[in-house]
Amino acid sequence: SQVLNNQAQSNSIDYAQPQRYRIGGIEFTGVKFLDPTSLTAVSGLKVGDEITVPGEDISRAVQKLWDQGILGDVDVYVTRIEGNQIFLNFDLKERPRLSRFEFKGINKSQQDALREKINLIRGKVVTDAVLNQTRAAIRKYYAEKSYLNAKINIVQRPDSLLPNSVVLNIDIDRGDKVKISEIIFEGNEAFSDKKLRRQLKKTKEKRFYKIFTSSKFQRSEYENDKQLLLDFYNSEGYRDAIIVSDSVYNVSPDRLGVRIVLDEGNRYYYRNITWNGNYLYEDDYLTRVLGINKGDVYNKQELDKRLNYNPTGIDVSALYQNDGYLFFNIDPVEVTVDGDSIDIEMRVSEGPQATISKVTVTGNTKTSDHVVLREIRTLPGQKYSREDLIRSRNELANLGYFDPETIGLNPMPNPEEGTVDINYTVSERPNDQISLSGGWGGPIGAVGTVGLTLNNFSTRKLLKLSEWRPLPSGDGQRLSLNVQANGRYYQSYSFSFTEPWLGGRKRNALTASVFKTVRREPRADIDRRLNVDGGALSLGRTLQWPDNFFQLSHTLSYNRYTLRNYPLFGTAFQNGVSNNISFNTTLARVSIDNPTFPRRGSNISLAMNLTPPYSLFSDKRNNFEFVEFNKWMLDASFFMNLAGNLVLNTRAHFGFLNNYSSKTSIGPFERFRLGGNGLGGANIFVGTDYIGLRGYDDESVINNPDPTLLNTGGIAYNKFVTEARYLISPNPGATIYGLAFLEAGNSFGSYDRYNPFKLYRSGGVGVRIFMAAFGLLGFDYGWRFDDVPGRPEMKRGQFHFMIGQQIR
Amino acid sequence: CSNFQKLLKSNDVDLKYKAALEYYEKGDYYRANQLLEQVMPLMTGREEAEKARFYYANTHYQQREYMLSAFQFRTFYETYPRSEMAEEAMFLQAKSLYNDSPDFEQDQTSTVTAMESIQEFLVRYPNSQFAAEANKMFDTLSAKLDLKSFESARLYYKLRYYKSAVVAFTNFLRENPSSPYSEEASYLRVDAQYRFALESVPDKQQERFIEAVDYYQAFIDQYPDSRFLRSAEQVYANTQSELEKIKKTNPSNS
Repeated sequence: SQVLNNQAQSNSIDYAQPQRYRIGGIEFTGVKFLDPTSLTAVSGLKVGDEITVPGEDISRAVQKLWDQGILGDVDVYVTRIEGNQIFLNFDLKERPRLSRFEFKGINKSQQDALREKINLIRGKVVTDAVLNQTRAAIRKYYAEKSYLNAKINIVQRPDSLLPNSVVLNIDIDRGDKVKISEIIFEGNEAFSDKKLRRQLKKTKEKRFYKIFTSSKFQRSEYENDKQLLLDFYNSEGYRDAIIVSDSVYNVSPDRLGVRIVLDEGNRYYYRNITWNGNYLYEDDYLTRVLGINKGDVYNKQELDKRLNYNPTGIDVSALYQNDGYLFFNIDPVEVTVDGDSIDIEMRVSEGPQATISKVTVTGNTKTSDHVVLREIRTLPGQKYSREDLIRSRNELANLGYFDPETIGLNPMPNPEEGTVDINYTVSERPNDQISLSGGWGGPIGAVGTVGLTLNNFSTRKLLKLSEWRPLPSGDGQRLSLNVQANGRYYQSYSFSFTEPWLGGRKRNALTASVFKTVRREPRADIDRRLNVDGGALSLGRTLQWPDNFFQLSHTLSYNRYTLRNYPLFGTAFQNGVSNNISFNTTLARVSIDNPTFPRRGSNISLAMNLTPPYSLFSDKRNNFEFVEFNKWMLDASFFMNLAGNLVLNTRAHFGFLNNYSSKTSIGPFERFRLGGNGLGGANIFVGTDYIGLRGYDDESVINNPDPTLLNTGGIAYNKFVTEARYLISPNPGATIYGLAFLEAGNSFGSYDRYNPFKLYRSGGVGVRIFMAAFGLLGFDYGWRFDDVPGRPEMKRGQFHFMIGQQIR
Repeated sequence: CSNFQKLLKSNDVDLKYKAALEYYEKGDYYRANQLLEQVMPLMTGREEAEKARFYYANTHYQQREYMLSAFQFRTFYETYPRSEMAEEAMFLQAKSLYNDSPDFEQDQTSTVTAMESIQEFLVRYPNSQFAAEANKMFDTLSAKLDLKSFESARLYYKLRYYKSAVVAFTNFLRENPSSPYSEEASYLRVDAQYRFALESVPDKQQERFIEAVDYYQAFIDQYPDSRFLRSAEQVYANTQSELEKIKKTNPSNS
């Protein structure tokens, strides 16, 4: 407080006439532990300063002293005035300072949680206000957890180590959890109590059979639920519904009751809907888009949704905004309310078409601007379109560098110029993956894996050491290194690199990869080994026709198998070199909205994999020296958002393997092995398609007449899946979803046995966890419905563990 | 268990403070930082608190923890505005932010904050011994922002979205008329407009080529000795011959 007149003072300060003085001296009284010099420094005043009295300078000094949080009270006096010299006296009251605080009566994890909530700072003074705030914060914390009767006792005791300091002992008895035992409605005629109770999302009655329902009472959630109740009434046409009164009362020490008294009012219906101000579209057309008819129950929420934003279909605003009419505005006005009927006039203002002027990105602390901007479909100079905006959002989410749930789209219209600037806000998430694992690889013993995948790499910054934080990143390139070895018997090395925009002009993705595998037969008396080496070069691009969701990619790959006494293909070919040169073309259309948990969109791809048709040109007939085949694959996957976080995924997969000439037989390469988790297990062999079929043993499903050929794999397969997925945790660090599936598939040893309707079926449930650092992990339980001939020992129910995103 | 660990666990404020100063003088900023962090709250109001706070901020700075050092220097000069070290603290706060500013290709929010701090510093201490360096830092940052907007405009040119490139270059030239990149932007705008006209439907071509001529004239007026002059002239010549072609095929249009 700024007390400038004290009794001892002869010359008074006139508050009406502030005067300039020079400070002649500053003294501090009432201090025992604090140092006057440092207090002067903190106050910001100095002997010799010119100040106005009364004025802001002294107020500011008092504020500064207060801000230190070490004082109990500050008074300022003028001791004397000599000419234009003023002598100030700061009379301070010291309070003990907090040196430590301790909790009692609660466990460690709650202590840690409370430490975050309460605002006790060591070194600050302990006042009654501080104690009250602390108590209130603790009470609030426990109230949120439904301990409404928590008792808090704070004891101060002097700290023996530091002068003028206290230790606080905070004693907490949280008591019993208080739950809601009853919710009573009064005045409801149109809906039953049960139906209304269901509208309260977080306020629920305690019932012994409701194991998963929380019946805590939380004030803020309760207020929210009351609003939800009214929203429900409004959505049913009761637009006058109000809550007349509501009360929360104690039933017993640990049980609460809630009573809500309602006045429902009348139910209203739409009568005439008229349009005004629309020049671009006819009234009839707009009414059709709106989809509300005369006689429908009046629902303001639904009306707003159909006018402004309808996530599941088209709305009236989208009609205009997708065509650049950003300044479009629609105002539904209730022109007449007649009994239970409402006439609505839609006042439309179409405005001019907005042109996009500037497009900016913020929040990319790692990824370079051009990597983000090149994905964005709202371009300067174009007409504004909401559809493009949402498409851009999906493209950014699909990059995988950003948290898809927090991508922000901010159009900033500039009505004077008829333009709009668009700012995209993103937040980076870690997406480099490091894997380090060890496992048991069957007969060859322990296998260790070291893998590193950098999804946002930059080769350009490789030579700039200042850009290494901790690795050169931000250009959207993908680098992957993987080493798998068990020492002598099995070694595998692979490396791949992808540049998604080769040349920086177009979405031409270039991928180069090489790999080397060494495999020796363990415990064999002679040297048996298989080396598989290879490389692939692929170029993929986005097409503009038929639409820009289409992608086309070409891959040229070469695999060489070097065998020494290794009966990979039976005894006919044990020594020598086998070359597999193939060319793959894939045409795909991908329109899914999010790579980790797609909600809508589809992914369809047709792939063709060809080797040169050697047999048509020459009579060479060592089937192994140059491998020959042609292979066709079709995969289709559709996603449909059923409700909220529930998504239905339906998939169909087909694959066919052929030879060019009828004179030759189809070799052992590139066959299909169906069953299990589709990972290929320990004996993974390049040139085989492992396809999962849950509920069955790995690679067990085949329709082959010859029982000795059960392990060779099929030359045609088909598989159908329906899967319901439910998103449990959208957290980008660990996205978790549960699923329930029904699937069916078969693989066929020869074309004369091919029958798309003969399928092995299964069903089950599972869970998928996507962690940015590890990729996708899955755990499924499948139950098979059919028996596989020749496999009587197969278990009916099976657990499957999966790593990585599975396409098929 | 080292001496340092013992110090960390000790409850003696003065001993810790003394040790912290020793570590600080020796250049062991990590240890000085650890000790100062512990004793600082307990020293508020004492004479040494001022020095301790400055040293604490500087230990962060020396360890290249610029986010933290910026915050601590700010706290310092807000608490002790009359201190002899306030000027240096304010400068180091700005310099921390300057050092923390990322490459032009990333989000520039911190660059903008840094520029604001530098300006604040220069207003407060116009005659500071650090003023020259602060000015230099400011220029570096502002050049970085220029480069960023220029590069994002040029991206559209690279991607061959010529219409967008013209809009983006026009925006750039309006907002940064005196930027070192304005000359190139002005030239690229001519070229982008020419290419845009070239791939336009015949109906719109004439109008768009004429616009390219306008842009060329704006370029030549402003940068008569440009290093892009030859290339610009070539574009201009091409534009003229295109316009002539249009005139021939459709004489009624001229």
